[in-house]
Amino acid sequence: MARAARASAIRFEDRTLAGTLGELPWGLVLMLITVACIGTAALYSSTFTNPEEAGLPARHAVRFAISLGIMFVIALVPIGIWLRAAWPAYFVTLAMLVGVELFGLTRGGATRWLQLGPIGVQPSEFMKLALTLALARYYHNNLTFQSGRFFIHLPALFIIIVPAALIFKQPDFGTTLALIASGAVLIFLAGLYYRIIAAVFLAGIASAWPIYMFVLQDYQRERVNTFLAQLTGQAVNTLDDGYQIEQAKIAIGSGGWQGRGFMEGTQAQLDYIPEQHTDFILTVIAEEFGFLGATGLLALWAAILGWGLVIAGRSASLFGRFAAVGCVATVAFFILFNVAMVLGLVPVVGVPLPLVSYGGTVMFTTMACFGILLSVHIGRDERLSTQGMI
Amino acid sequence: MSSELDFESRLNRRTIITGAAGGVLFSGLVARLVQLQLFEGERYKEIANENGVKLDLAPPIRGAIYDRFGVPLASHRQAGRVSIVREQTPDMDATLAEIARHIDLPMDERERVIQQARSQASFQSTIVKSELTYEEFARMTLLAADMPGVRADMAATRSYPRGRDFAHVLGYVAKASSDDLSRLTENASPEESSLLARLFRHPDMRTGRSGIERAAEPWLRGEPGFRRLETNAAGRVIRELESDDLAPTPGRDIGLTVDAELQRAAIDRFGDESGAAVVLDIETGAILAFVSTPAFDPNDFVNGISYADYNALRENDRSPLYHKAYDGTYPPGSTFKMVVATAALEAGINPDQRVYCNGYYRFGNRTWHCWKRGGHGNVDMHWAMKGSCDVYFYDIARKIGVEHLADVSRRFGFGQVWDLGLTGGRGGTVPDDAWKRAALGEPWYEGETLNYGIGQGYLSASPLQLALMSARIAAKGRLIEPYIIGEGPRPDKPIPYAEPLDPDHMQRMMDGMYGVTSEAGGTAWRSGDLGLGGPRLAGKTGTAQVRRISEAERRSGVLKGDEIDRRLRDHALFVAYAPADDPKYAISVVVEHGEGGSSTAAPVARDILATAIRRDSRAAARWQQTASASGSGNGGGNP
Repeated sequence: MARAARASAIRFEDRTLAGTLGELPWGLVLMLITVACIGTAALYSSTFTNPEEAGLPARHAVRFAISLGIMFVIALVPIGIWLRAAWPAYFVTLAMLVGVELFGLTRGGATRWLQLGPIGVQPSEFMKLALTLALARYYHNNLTFQSGRFFIHLPALFIIIVPAALIFKQPDFGTTLALIASGAVLIFLAGLYYRIIAAVFLAGIASAWPIYMFVLQDYQRERVNTFLAQLTGQAVNTLDDGYQIEQAKIAIGSGGWQGRGFMEGTQAQLDYIPEQHTDFILTVIAEEFGFLGATGLLALWAAILGWGLVIAGRSASLFGRFAAVGCVATVAFFILFNVAMVLGLVPVVGVPLPLVSYGGTVMFTTMACFGILLSVHIGRDERLSTQGMI
Repeated sequence: MSSELDFESRLNRRTIITGAAGGVLFSGLVARLVQLQLFEGERYKEIANENGVKLDLAPPIRGAIYDRFGVPLASHRQAGRVSIVREQTPDMDATLAEIARHIDLPMDERERVIQQARSQASFQSTIVKSELTYEEFARMTLLAADMPGVRADMAATRSYPRGRDFAHVLGYVAKASSDDLSRLTENASPEESSLLARLFRHPDMRTGRSGIERAAEPWLRGEPGFRRLETNAAGRVIRELESDDLAPTPGRDIGLTVDAELQRAAIDRFGDESGAAVVLDIETGAILAFVSTPAFDPNDFVNGISYADYNALRENDRSPLYHKAYDGTYPPGSTFKMVVATAALEAGINPDQRVYCNGYYRFGNRTWHCWKRGGHGNVDMHWAMKGSCDVYFYDIARKIGVEHLADVSRRFGFGQVWDLGLTGGRGGTVPDDAWKRAALGEPWYEGETLNYGIGQGYLSASPLQLALMSARIAAKGRLIEPYIIGEGPRPDKPIPYAEPLDPDHMQRMMDGMYGVTSEAGGTAWRSGDLGLGGPRLAGKTGTAQVRRISEAERRSGVLKGDEIDRRLRDHALFVAYAPADDPKYAISVVVEHGEGGSSTAAPVARDILATAIRRDSRAAARWQQTASASGSGNGGGNP
């Protein structure tokens, strides 16, 4: 039946723009807009007491509008073009990462920026998308019925490890984790044997101690220490290391069932939580709208991501399916990690909440992911021959 | 194809597992939300509520001071003020200049504000100007909204509604200096000291610097409370929360025995003259008026008096800062003659025995003059008193001797500080041989006893003591003690002098004082009628020599009036009681450099007494009524 539906679908080349737009999953778009509106409201509540931050909510909304436009542009690019662009995009971004390593700009102790003419760019952000496309591209060509075997995934592992190592060195722990997590999801999807997954998992646990001792930077080790102390209920200096997460817990907890009401949260209004308009924006929502508000936002995101997986499942091409799952995994990683971090379940690593936290980069990355997702949706029936393309 | 189907179904399975894993992770987060928000929500809510609350020390409202009828003499009033917080103000100079465009704020005041702001923590507020007028306050309230760090608000300010009238009695309050603070914390424990230091740093807190304000500081101050202020993480105050349960305990009130209207009338009566007057209730010893004029306005001190203004007060030759009625001591002059006469009666001298006065008295190789150049002729004690014959008193003083004179003086209340519960107070000097040897290292010479007899020489007394003397006479020798605090921290009573004065002797003194004002030959017979159609007063004139008149001057005719510098003129004294037939009020009046007791002091005393009677100043005090109503014994007058 699915096949019949596909057969009756209009071939890509015959579509009109209006027809294509009409086919878009508008419910998904509407949900994205809803999330961005919640983010703008939370930003308004958390910044209106401070005149210097008065313009933030409006800027957030404008950025979202621009990102929405970019999403549609990406969506309307035929999926075949993305397939062809995958390798060049990956290698150019990789080259830029090397460039960062050699001549990057250092801001706030981390070397993440590359000056290209008048604009500064953060290649690690592009890499999130480029890696997804590259892995999708790789599996599109190389997946066979032997997909459980480890050797098939070895090149994919390299595709992940090289940029991840470069970004880890910047250092940017959050992005490194994001790349590894979404890459791991794709390898899993590609069909790696469970026994190998279990072995890698055990190796990961075994290597935690050496990584902690020899790989992490001092400030990262400190964060992990604080986190472990807080998680195990030890007393931490709440005015120092554990302050942020402690205040976040107070804000979230005090929200209770229904919250304290919009703009009524004392923790939020009195600036108790550092970064509350960026990484810790969820505390504002949880405090002012309570359990209902916070779970409502999570449910909304879960629905969006679930819809993304449905799109992935309907893709006729491997590239489309892998790209869609990769995009969903990237955004899901941000959401899960951010919320877990704010709730004190994982160490504080600078990971924002997509579309809700204030900040341009993550907004563009997220909406670009959804652009690819929509492009997969539009090109779901393209089988995408790759003959002579490598 | 089958492998492709297998392959595709595995891909689908893995997609679903991926979604399911994501769902599990999402559920884990929701579980954590359940834990934090639903199970531990109440606990976190409490922490959140405490988080933003800072306890700010709230100064207590200082106790009020009332007159006997409940008229407020010291209270508090809400006054508008502008303050500034350094850390919130981008440019102090520009902001102050802007403020100065709208309210009167001289350059040196702006300098002071900047100095003061720099000397304290940047988040503390500095008062730019207090005591704003309504118009200024309205204007600043509007402007402050657009000036970061500037605040216009109302604050309770100590206020003295009667202005100068009770300046010396009440004293004044001011911001605690470091000297004040070390005095206030002298006997306090370290914790109390630090709380007091914190309290007195509060911009609204004041401490008594003089008078009752200072002496009764612990009674008036009250206990500080706290205000709950909502602050943000940076410590900035967002708003004030309900804090009635932590409210400061106001200071206790004090009810004085004085009658504000009588005081006012007395001061008015002095006009431009400087001097002192004390009116006592003869029955109880309560002070009804305690005048020292000119005075300063204590309101000027509450927010700090300018150096120029303070210097002007200090250099004023009429000593407005000085409490003449309590701290001032004057030779009592002829008003002392009742004491000498009493001593004579106690020594067994017959009051009817006459002494011949020809205008001077010779003793050894010196001559003592009577004020009346021709002499009084043959005078007995009564005549000597009403005519104030110096020769008679030279004679009997010599016969009595210095030791007995000093003893009787003390029984009239001289030579002793009467602690009224305010700062200051001087006892004057009751000289005798021992005193002179201690003070001057010389024995007493008999010639000095003659001066003693007319109230001159080393002898000195305060106007309070003179009023007390006349009250003790009018009370027929009852040893009345003066007091001014009717309800409040009464000072410990001194042990009364054991030996009372003989009522018969006192009756003779009263007759003599009646003669002064109401019989032919009395030195103040014109002042005897109170002008109330009946009641008269009885009194005694006196002159306190400011300098000794030399023989040369006496021969050339003593310089009078305008011819000599005001500062060298004698003080005019008058003591009296009224009504003469049923004494209720005793008074002493000193008109500094007023020259004639009968010409300047007596009319003042007469008018004050008339006012006291007309107003019925002895009428039961408000605090006496409330005290008896509540059954408390604290109020009441002296027995």
